[in-house]
Amino acid sequence: MAVCIAVIGKDNSPKYIKCTDEANALQFHYKIHTSIDIVEEKLNIGNKTAADVRELFLGMLYSTEEYKIFGYATNTKIKFIIVLQSSNATLRDNEVRMMFRKLHIAYANAVSDPFYIPGDQIQSKIFNSAVMDIMGLLVDEKKILK
Amino acid sequence: MRSALSVILSSPVPDNKMSHPDYEQTAHDHATILILLKPLGAQIKQKTVTRICERIIKCGSRFSVIDSSNNTREILTRFIKDHPVENNDWGDFQTHRRLLGLITFGKYENQIELNELCRLHETLKVKYVQTLYDSRAILFGPIPSENLNEPPPSFTTPHNFKTVGIFYADDLCPNLEIQMSQCFNSLFWILESKRLERSREKIDKVALLQAPFEKKDFIGLDLESRNNRERCVGRATKHLGDLCLQAGLPGDALNNYNSAIGTLQSVNDWLWLGSAYEGLCAVSALILYPNMCRNVPLQRNSSLQEGSPGKQRRGSQPTTTLCAPPTIETIKMNMPNILLPEDICKKYREAIVHYTKYQNAGIIETEASFKATRISIEQNCTLQAASFLSNVLFNNMTMNEQEKIDRFTTLSDLYTSFGYLRKASFCLRHAALRHVSQYNPNLDWQQCYNLLLQATSGFKLSLDPVEMSFDNRKGWPSIQIQLINELVAAANRMGHPALATRHLTFLLQTMYNYLTPTERKDAALQLQAVSQQSEGSPVPLVLDSGRVIPPANLTNIPRTKSFALKNLQPHLQPQKIERVKEDHGPFLFTPINFGSLERKTTAKGKVDYLWVDGDICEVSMQLVNPLPFELHVSNMRLLTSGVVFEPIPESITLPAESGTIAVTLAGTPREVGELEILGFSTHTLGVKSNCRLRHIESMPHPLYTVEIVPALPRINVETSLPRTASFSSGENIVTSASISLYGGESAECTITITNISQVPIEMIEISVQSTLDSLTESKVFKWSNENLLTQLPLQPQSSACITLYMYAAMEFVASQRHDITNAYQSQSNSLISHSGPSSLPSRLSTSSHHTKRYSELTSSFRSGTSSNSSNSLSSTRLSKLAVPIHASNIVEGQLKIKFSGSAGLASGYCRISSVFITIEMLRSVQFTNWDVLPAETPTQFYLVLDVINMTNHEMELHYTQNKCIYMEGRESCRIPIPVDRCPFNKLSTIDGAGNNEDLQKICSEHIASLADLKWQLVGTETTGKATLSGLALTQDMLDLVRMSPLQWEVTINDVVFKAQDEITCNLGECINVGVGVSNALESPLRNLILSINLYQDHHNGVNNYRLDTRVSIAGANKVILPTLQESGRAYHECRVVFLTAGQYKIDIQCSSRESILDSLTFCSELGNSGHTWRYIPPIEIKVEDC
Repeated sequence: MAVCIAVIGKDNSPKYIKCTDEANALQFHYKIHTSIDIVEEKLNIGNKTAADVRELFLGMLYSTEEYKIFGYATNTKIKFIIVLQSSNATLRDNEVRMMFRKLHIAYANAVSDPFYIPGDQIQSKIFNSAVMDIMGLLVDEKKILK
Repeated sequence: MRSALSVILSSPVPDNKMSHPDYEQTAHDHATILILLKPLGAQIKQKTVTRICERIIKCGSRFSVIDSSNNTREILTRFIKDHPVENNDWGDFQTHRRLLGLITFGKYENQIELNELCRLHETLKVKYVQTLYDSRAILFGPIPSENLNEPPPSFTTPHNFKTVGIFYADDLCPNLEIQMSQCFNSLFWILESKRLERSREKIDKVALLQAPFEKKDFIGLDLESRNNRERCVGRATKHLGDLCLQAGLPGDALNNYNSAIGTLQSVNDWLWLGSAYEGLCAVSALILYPNMCRNVPLQRNSSLQEGSPGKQRRGSQPTTTLCAPPTIETIKMNMPNILLPEDICKKYREAIVHYTKYQNAGIIETEASFKATRISIEQNCTLQAASFLSNVLFNNMTMNEQEKIDRFTTLSDLYTSFGYLRKASFCLRHAALRHVSQYNPNLDWQQCYNLLLQATSGFKLSLDPVEMSFDNRKGWPSIQIQLINELVAAANRMGHPALATRHLTFLLQTMYNYLTPTERKDAALQLQAVSQQSEGSPVPLVLDSGRVIPPANLTNIPRTKSFALKNLQPHLQPQKIERVKEDHGPFLFTPINFGSLERKTTAKGKVDYLWVDGDICEVSMQLVNPLPFELHVSNMRLLTSGVVFEPIPESITLPAESGTIAVTLAGTPREVGELEILGFSTHTLGVKSNCRLRHIESMPHPLYTVEIVPALPRINVETSLPRTASFSSGENIVTSASISLYGGESAECTITITNISQVPIEMIEISVQSTLDSLTESKVFKWSNENLLTQLPLQPQSSACITLYMYAAMEFVASQRHDITNAYQSQSNSLISHSGPSSLPSRLSTSSHHTKRYSELTSSFRSGTSSNSSNSLSSTRLSKLAVPIHASNIVEGQLKIKFSGSAGLASGYCRISSVFITIEMLRSVQFTNWDVLPAETPTQFYLVLDVINMTNHEMELHYTQNKCIYMEGRESCRIPIPVDRCPFNKLSTIDGAGNNEDLQKICSEHIASLADLKWQLVGTETTGKATLSGLALTQDMLDLVRMSPLQWEVTINDVVFKAQDEITCNLGECINVGVGVSNALESPLRNLILSINLYQDHHNGVNNYRLDTRVSIAGANKVILPTLQESGRAYHECRVVFLTAGQYKIDIQCSSRESILDSLTFCSELGNSGHTWRYIPPIEIKVEDC
């Protein structure tokens, strides 16, 4: 399952980061931060080649022995990063895509809040619970919300 | 990329691994001849070595040779400064790792030194004896030698020195290039011969070539097996390929590699297969990208650093031999085996995968990754380059810390070269931390700090706080915070507390919002500790490396909640002296706004008041201490620009986690002009900070502009009267004065104005402002302007005095309106002849019970209905004087002193100080009631007043020239005052339109001007004057007060009667009474009834008019005069015979039956009676018995 989910703004500053393991949060910060390099590169290539609808899913950015890092960039250059555990071999590409799609919808809902100022940190509870849901942490709480 | 088989095939103990990785290698280095450049001995100067090396590298790094078959060979060389001999062990595996040439430099002064240099050279030769082909020694001696290769005369080389020496006397080194190319040529030819030798070896006789760690893998294997033979052949072919490549025959090398790959693949010799692939890639890269090779590999630390491959940017670097790379098609025709560009990296990948299978080949693998990365960069395939580099990171080699550092810095360089700054910084930071890791035997905090500093850019961490402001900050706060903390730690440990202070200050300034309260506290405490060693100040720090660390300021500690300029105190504010407006023509307003743009910009942060040169000006701030401990902030000053400003330092201690605390910063402007207030400076936690408003969050203006006007004088005002306890607020008030005055009393107040400034006062204007109407005001306050002007100019520290005369102007007549209504009411019921209002005695008796002094008294004078209306009365008075009812009568006034001088006056400014004056007006005497009575003479009448002494003191009341009365406190009494009747000339102002009010007014003014009541409180000096203005007069009173419009001429027995004449007659005598009436008015009188009545006055208030039996009248005693023209005269006579003796009076009166005078029409409610004019006094006749 996902161990860390991040939303990165247009200017590559963090808008939202959630880790399962808060103690090692900084480690994930570094991982996600460095993966921006690759995201940027992939976006650059995308610009050059395809003028038509770009594939939002960027695929795996890089992998280490412990984690696989996947990226997704919206048309407005908002980046989503999901860190998965490498040991979880059963997770297929399609499932990762699904996770990103969910995240994208949750994000779109969060920024539709009229009180949200674009560029600010995301502090929506609903977005938070959606992320927790993707990370598989928040089954009960989601029910409560509903 | 990593093989799952990793480590399986390697021996577990890496005893002879290559311990000196060369991360700078490129694929092109496979084709180079390795030459070591080494300075010997301590004599030679570094500069000389550098210069010589440069020359050698320039001439030798790429040269051409004509081979035996007349083909031109392009030979590449690589010069290095150091070569661990262990690396030669891998020379069989990859021939370019062998050291083939040696060039040493040395300087000698005498034979011994020369011998030593020779010995050292020979030692080096021995060290690399296994691989070395040729060597040269460049020796600098004291004298030149005739033959370059021979030692100079008187010097000899030792006999065991078998090297070609090159002897120079100075470092100009003529012919160095020729000498060197000889050396290079010789190296080439030896290499060529080795290659030929290899190529001629019998294919089935070749020995097994081995990588260093493989030696014992083959123990016990059947060396004669077919498999092994294949292996030998494959390895030898690959080796030959290496040699061909070095010898400038890439085509042959390609063929050899290709055949080696085929052979080795069949025997699963993965390590060598990998190297064959790598060789293939190297040849292809060399051909496809001829310009990629390094140019100046030795100058890592020199100014030529830009050229070193680590810093290579995308695309090939410019070299002197730059030529357009040939197209792939042409190359493919010449060399069919060459790899296509996209295949190079694929093959490299394969090679690396094969290497990973051997743990001992870790270095080879890492080097291959770096080489592949460089090619990827050349091909602009950054993602591929990144994947090669990330592979390096996974390579879990046991390395010492230094090697790790090298690996990380190389990684960082490469990442930087293709723009992956984040990853580069990540690696740099790791390298930095390796410098100080616990496994590192030689900790180097300085290096750690330097690397960390280089890493900042990748984390978007600018050390300039301006670039890290809230609006334009970038990057990841949590990572940045960690990095800053590491910088602080490194700076601390390397013994540079100033840097630590700076970084901590920076942390608290820029990252404040991202720190948790605990972190803030920790950082603040740490800063406090560090700054004790080195105080922080807002100046840039320059590091040894030349890097400048910009200043940081503690803008958040203490936190500024508000920052506002204060206007001067009201009495110090400069005011524009109003001038008579110049005539600007008829167009006062223009819709065309000329300076509109300009105005908008200046309005920003511009305050709309003025400060004065030389006066203390203040800024009020609200500070919050966010830290959980007491914060001492010292030396707070204002930061300004523009005109000269002297700030006054301020210190403050903020309690832990305080709420807002107000602080006032002050200073004195010293020039005239615009002053810009930029912020303030503080000194807290051992750090001096310049907190500029534009760097502080949520400040409305980045700076404030205030205009400074020229110096103005200041004054101190004192009065001779005691101060007021409290007064209603007013502007500019500097002092106050209060006094109690009884009505009609006057007092003086001396106001002393002292100039307490350094400039003279040249202008003073005094005015009074109060709620009184201007007429009363001018009565109450009086002063002499002339007296004041004579005292000007007022020099500094000198004083001027002005006397203010105050007078308690008061209404002495109580409740006049009531009296009118009351009098009217009473008159309608009572006879005219009543000498006074009948209710008076009862009123007087009630008044004595009263103890309260003021308005309650007056209201309670009225019984019954009148008390209802007292409220309305007092409210009318209230509105007139604007004082509270209970205070009876308090007059508040402000004496405005407008003054100016020197430069301030010249530029049209002044200041206004006010003295607040409170006059409590106490009632002295009050006239509660009044009436008029006819006097003994027709020209006068008696004004009868009921006077109350409203004070608690005994009072002496002078009411005429020589009459006075003593009254106890609160006593009332009745006094008659003879007053001249109001002459007609006063009334003449009333013309046809005149009405009752005008008449009333004139009459009461007439009374007020004549009646003069002076009072003195017995036993005190208090004296005063009561005026009778405001008396309300009824119609009847008015008739008395006015001179009669009829002039009487009475004759008794044809003798003109005079007042006070006594007439005596005898009983039965006939008296002839003649009455002449003349009209003194300027209009005719109509319907007059002239009557002559006789009566007896019993002197007890009863007049007996029924005298039928006592008097007989001959002739009409009543005549009607239809009209009496103006200045006309009428005469009537009758005779009277008295039948009994006694006192008689004759009442002669003339009454108008209706409105007689159009012009004097009033009192319609009295219409039945009309006017009655009497002859006053009545004629008295004494009738005696005969």
